[in-house]
Amino acid sequence: MKKLLNRSLKPMLIYALLVSVGSIPVYFLIIDFIWLRELDKHHYGIKRKLENRIDALSLPDSTVQQTVSILNRTEPGFTLTAVGASRPDSLYTLIRFDPFLQDREQFRCLVTSIRINNRPYRLLIETNMEEIDETVLAIAGVSLAFFVLLLGGFVFLNRRLARKIWQPFYASLGQLKEFNLQRDQTVAFAKTDILEFAELNDSLRQLIARNIAIYQQQKEFAENASHELQTPLAVVQSKLDLLLQNENLTARQGEQIELANRALARVSRINKNLLLLARLENQQFADRERVDLSQLVTDQLELLADFLENSQLTLTTAIQPGIEVEGNRLLIEIAVTNLLFNAIRHSPETGKISVRLANRQFTVANSGSPALNPDNLFKRFSTVSAKTPSSGLGLAIVREISNRYGWSITYTFTDGQHIFALAV
Amino acid sequence: MKILIIEDERELAQSITEYLSGENYRCETATSYEQALEKVGLYHYDCILLDLMLPGGDGLKILAELKRQNRQEGVIIISAKSSFEDKITGLQIGADDYLAKPFHLPELAARIYSVIRRRNFGNANTLIQNGLEIDLLAKTVTVNQSPVFLTRKEFDLLLYFLGNKNRVISKSALAEHLSGDLADLLDNHDFVYAHIKNLKKKLSEAGAGTFLKTVYGTGYKWEG
Repeated sequence: MKKLLNRSLKPMLIYALLVSVGSIPVYFLIIDFIWLRELDKHHYGIKRKLENRIDALSLPDSTVQQTVSILNRTEPGFTLTAVGASRPDSLYTLIRFDPFLQDREQFRCLVTSIRINNRPYRLLIETNMEEIDETVLAIAGVSLAFFVLLLGGFVFLNRRLARKIWQPFYASLGQLKEFNLQRDQTVAFAKTDILEFAELNDSLRQLIARNIAIYQQQKEFAENASHELQTPLAVVQSKLDLLLQNENLTARQGEQIELANRALARVSRINKNLLLLARLENQQFADRERVDLSQLVTDQLELLADFLENSQLTLTTAIQPGIEVEGNRLLIEIAVTNLLFNAIRHSPETGKISVRLANRQFTVANSGSPALNPDNLFKRFSTVSAKTPSSGLGLAIVREISNRYGWSITYTFTDGQHIFALAV
Repeated sequence: MKILIIEDERELAQSITEYLSGENYRCETATSYEQALEKVGLYHYDCILLDLMLPGGDGLKILAELKRQNRQEGVIIISAKSSFEDKITGLQIGADDYLAKPFHLPELAARIYSVIRRRNFGNANTLIQNGLEIDLLAKTVTVNQSPVFLTRKEFDLLLYFLGNKNRVISKSALAEHLSGDLADLLDNHDFVYAHIKNLKKKLSEAGAGTFLKTVYGTGYKWEG
């Protein structure tokens, strides 16, 4: 994933780089063209001045040869040679070793013809100019310098300006990240004078409001539905209890009523747990009470002692005393019993259960196999099976309570043991 | 004993009436807030069963009104709301007990029995039934001057049966009473059988074993 700002920066930089590189030959061609044109103009100027000045001297023919030879020896970049006939002019550039400068130099040359005392002479004018490679290098250097300047400018402006422009967007994003449907809270977006962001915030506000409303309805629905079921369940229960009073009841009928009773007890339990989950989601529990977890676990184990005595399960416990947590006593009790019940319910007949509380970790382990899928384990109704009639909500409730207090519940399977660990 | 059932679900009120009538209970029913206030204003009862969600008003207000008048009726809240706070509030205002729906009728009967017993006998803590002398405070039982040593659970069961005399009680109801949520763990209700067998044995040895009967296939019954 790339950040939005970096994404817009990159093509701009690539474009700037291309323009900078592309400008190097263009600059060179233009500079070269200007150089050559100016030099050629200058050379023709010299030629004309020379012709005029020599004419003005009106040298006698006898001294022409001597004057030309003096000129050739004193004037730099200048050679006059007597020729038979005049030839067309020639303009060229040449790189050679210059004995005077002791270096490789580039020269612009003009070869032309002039007449002195009506005799044709060939005139060569050379002017030292910057070498082509050095020119290109200089241009490239300057271009690179400008590119670096652009790069720095872009990055700086991007950081400053773009961040400022996008600031409302990042503010809204931050708010959305913070938003949690399960916590009762509304989202207040900061005011912005940018149309698109204002529209975005408006849409988000509406979306969130709709979600909150739907979530609220769903929560209320779950709670109301569970509540509404309690009374009809009570009616069914009471009718079954009454039916049992019938003196003409056969044993078979009695058994059937008992079976109906058991199923009804299960329905009631599921309903109670659903109601508990709904109420947990609706945040209907007062908190902030110091609870001695060690004592609570010990008490719950004591309640189970009677049952465990009559079973073939082996229980080992290690409870570190004095561990306190903050929360609602009832909820913590429910979380603890649900984990204990869960272990008992899913142990084989002669299984082993170990309960430990130490280092702010409450662990319940029971023997059994195979390993369970930890992804589904804490979902509602995912663990219901015909063999073990449970409400299928026990672990979902544990997780809900654990989330509420910022604890963590984890499941691991090692050495043939299902281990549930609640870190408080 | 007069009992007022304040419950808007007529079928449930009907079941309770039918279950409680026969022994020495006389039941009346109120199905709305106004009707309940009217009955409470006109008559006195030994025990009032109070549903909290009533057409026309909140049941807790009736309870508050009873307490304002300093009335002596025992009040048992029977509510579809099983929330802990409601229970606390109800008990704080002055209800004697709180029973969440759905419940077994024998459980309700046992609680009514307990509430009336506490109200009517004041500080007297001895109960004499079918030759059994039960000390409620010390939780001891004596038959013909000789003590019967019962466990806490057995003593509890005995009172439960006495509150449901001549009624067949299902194993489910007993299991739920004895173990609450734990009943959910137990695939069979054998532990109910174990407790009752022990209670029966102890009572028989003391010469009072004839009252507790097993009704084949259905449950148990205290005849007396």
